[in-house]
Amino acid sequence: MVDNIGGSGSSNNEGIIKEQDRLLPIANVGRIMKQILPQNAKISKEAKETMQECVSEYISFVTSEASEKCRKERRKTVNGDDICWALATLGFDDYAEGMRRYLQRYRELEVDNNNQERGK
Amino acid sequence: MRQAGAYSGILCGGISGRTGPHSLPLARIKKIMKKSGEDVKMISGEAPIVFSKACELFIEELTRRSWIVAIHGKRRTLHKDDVASAVVATDIFDFLVTLVSHNHGCALNNNANNDGAVMEIQTLQYS
Repeated sequence: MVDNIGGSGSSNNEGIIKEQDRLLPIANVGRIMKQILPQNAKISKEAKETMQECVSEYISFVTSEASEKCRKERRKTVNGDDICWALATLGFDDYAEGMRRYLQRYRELEVDNNNQERGK
Repeated sequence: MRQAGAYSGILCGGISGRTGPHSLPLARIKKIMKKSGEDVKMISGEAPIVFSKACELFIEELTRRSWIVAIHGKRRTLHKDDVASAVVATDIFDFLVTLVSHNHGCALNNNANNDGAVMEIQTLQYS
């Protein structure tokens, strides 16, 4: 159900919503790009849009590989380790190492948080 | 008492601080993951979190490489062609080649079917 808040046509809105659903927000993507570039660098809107598309493709690409592994091992849930494995398999070894440490740290913090909650 | 270190960003707001602990929206990442195929049924809570970091690294790397192309062209504005050139020049970005050359003609085309075909070929190569 789509609420037409001043919308011109529901079918158009649905199309736009679907388009936005499959991309990460351009503001977030643009911000990450900007942070890695020199201060005086400019980024065209088209470049940001292209990056949005590339990131979504990247997510799909890695997820497919991870989910294929789960299917072969008859597991239903794609977890963080599967993503790390897929990253390494697809040539993103540099990321995989860092990701494993990131994931480890995240899991430790989660346990810490849970313990703190119980301590209250 | 555990020291806040490199990953204190997880708790204190990451790069921007405005979008919560992660600079990319986890719900959206999860949606995109689900769309990647029929096989993808259940996704653990940590998977989008790993991706939010991995996507940051991906964006940073592709942006850096694209910037090198722009600099060579004596420009200070990053254009979509710079991104395309960086993709073509980098082995691990092979999976993006069709996407960036496709984008040359049509801007907002839904490339879903084509992307699926490309991904299938990639998967076959690795199995």
